Amino acid sequence: MPFGSLQEKDFLDRQSELADLYQRVLQAGAHAARSVVVAGPRGIGKTELLKQLFGLLFWRQDRVSPFYVVVNPALLSATPFSQTYLTQFLCQRLAFEKKEQSLLQRDGLSLDGLSALVEDRDAAWARELLDQYRQSSDPLSALRIALSAPSRSALITGTPVAVLIDEFHRLKGLSLEGSPDPHLASFFESPLSYGKTPHVITGNAPEIEEMPVSSGLDRMALLPLGFEDVSSKAVSLLRANEIKGDAPPLLLRRLGGNPFSVECVVRAAGAKKNPEERDFWNAYVREIREGTLARFWSSALKSSFPDLGSRRTALSLTHKIYHANEPFTCRRIAAAFSLTDRDAEATARALYFAGFIQGEFGVFRAVEDGVLRDIVDCLYLKEVLAKAPQDIERELLEKLLPQGEKAVRFDVTLPMTREAELVAAQCLDQIGKNMNLNQDAIGQLQIAVIEACINAMEHGKGAENGISVSVAVEGERMEVSIESAGREFIAQETGEPFGDHEVAKPSGRGWGIKLMKRFADDVRFEKTARGTKTILIKNVGKSINVQKEGSTERE
Amino acid sequence: MMPKGYINDLGAECLEQTSEQFLGQGLKKLIVNFSDVQFINTIGVSIFTSMVQKALEYNGLLCFTNMKKVHRDIFEMVGLMKYVRFFKDEEEAILFLKGRN
Repeated sequence: MPFGSLQEKDFLDRQSELADLYQRVLQAGAHAARSVVVAGPRGIGKTELLKQLFGLLFWRQDRVSPFYVVVNPALLSATPFSQTYLTQFLCQRLAFEKKEQSLLQRDGLSLDGLSALVEDRDAAWARELLDQYRQSSDPLSALRIALSAPSRSALITGTPVAVLIDEFHRLKGLSLEGSPDPHLASFFESPLSYGKTPHVITGNAPEIEEMPVSSGLDRMALLPLGFEDVSSKAVSLLRANEIKGDAPPLLLRRLGGNPFSVECVVRAAGAKKNPEERDFWNAYVREIREGTLARFWSSALKSSFPDLGSRRTALSLTHKIYHANEPFTCRRIAAAFSLTDRDAEATARALYFAGFIQGEFGVFRAVEDGVLRDIVDCLYLKEVLAKAPQDIERELLEKLLPQGEKAVRFDVTLPMTREAELVAAQCLDQIGKNMNLNQDAIGQLQIAVIEACINAMEHGKGAENGISVSVAVEGERMEVSIESAGREFIAQETGEPFGDHEVAKPSGRGWGIKLMKRFADDVRFEKTARGTKTILIKNVGKSINVQKEGSTERE
Repeated sequence: MMPKGYINDLGAECLEQTSEQFLGQGLKKLIVNFSDVQFINTIGVSIFTSMVQKALEYNGLLCFTNMKKVHRDIFEMVGLMKYVRFFKDEEEAILFLKGRN
């Protein structure tokens, strides 16, 4: 059933993206609409968004007929694929005419069953399409007819069709007589470019990007949820299980705005009646050790590297990339793992396609995803270092659990005036001294905060409310968030505000984010109701002796 | 040269002009003492980059002294380390420069 798993009233996180897509495909009713690729990491909510869009188009309007299809890996041979595609389309198109939800469940019909249905509805346009399909001389012609069925129906009936395809990347595996032929996906080229059949496609972004048919399509990046949305989602999941408490904010931040991760961890914690903070962390560690999240990534690794030796190398390489300061080239990978250049490239590309690393131009680095980082660490400890489960659990909990001290928080609002960033930097210095924190680490964080504030000022130009800087210290961990009204955001691939590159090049500010990453342990960017928030996290450690001003280490 | 406080666009530009004046007067060995520098931002660093370029054009040599580790890390990150000599203090830099005569 192509409807979302959430009721519309509970689907709050992606309302603006949903509205954008809805408006986009409705344009097909009056003018021509453009097809779009919805890109984002695994678990970010692409499938749910597509299903919500289907529901909206199906129930809320009569101008554009929605057609939702998931590419099934078991049906990639041209003949069964084309038959399923055509059957699903005709059932959904007929269902749309009279809003018959029951027809949506009949997409497993045989061709004879489909003929009977078409006769029953007396749909001449559908009969014509079906006859054409049945008379096709070979599987390729049949595939072409099936894929063009939405555009043919739009031409005949005058009702445009919004084609929503999930797991589009799997079409690389379309096959003829048993052998996959990636070129078969190019049959989508014509339907994708027809203005009366706007396609909204999604799936594994790196693989879709490599498919020639995607080159002329628009892009929509699904960004991680902001902290407020993550909190609301966690609360709603907890309340649905009649649990009164809240998930620890630090843990929610660690989940990086990925709704799938939030759901897995909160559900796991909710298995215990009235979970406390420690229970949430235990649930997280269980999830990344052996839960749905761990299985998801472990199976991605297994399917990309069926051979045990190469799987082990791939895991070790991923772990190394996640713990290196600099990105890896294929040559560096080859040298580090005694691989040929060709094997190094094949391993890195497979890891890239599986979503473990970034680097579509051959320079590879870790994906900005704290949960995936923890899963990689966990898999490495388990599979490469062969550590016992209880040792892994203890090690992870020690790393993750807050120190038990209460967080101290300071909030400052900076005006958009010259050198206001120094006020934030000086605040950090004083907080460090008051709390006896390591001055060198504070010095590094000050540099990162200056850059983040300058970014916020550049992105928030024209906004009146200034920049909100919030500093939270919990034990030896300092978290500084810098929020401004700047709406500019992010290329999903880098997870970085594009403004940093655009605004800055002439003045050399293109190094700002690099510098933040160099001096903070973790740098995150969030879209908030107000604009954009940059979060810098650093384990600053305690100072052995309280140092006087200016005594920071010199070389 | 002894820059002070916050090295941003203004601070670094001033330093760049001074160094250009010296280089124009034929002085080829310049020492920049960072002991009074509190913060450097990336705009400042980018101006330092052009200052280093200028010094190279004049066949000059730039020596940086009394740098905090965090500031040195910034220069390392932007790849300036190989074009500049770093010393603990001015005395060490002067000794080195005398040795090159």
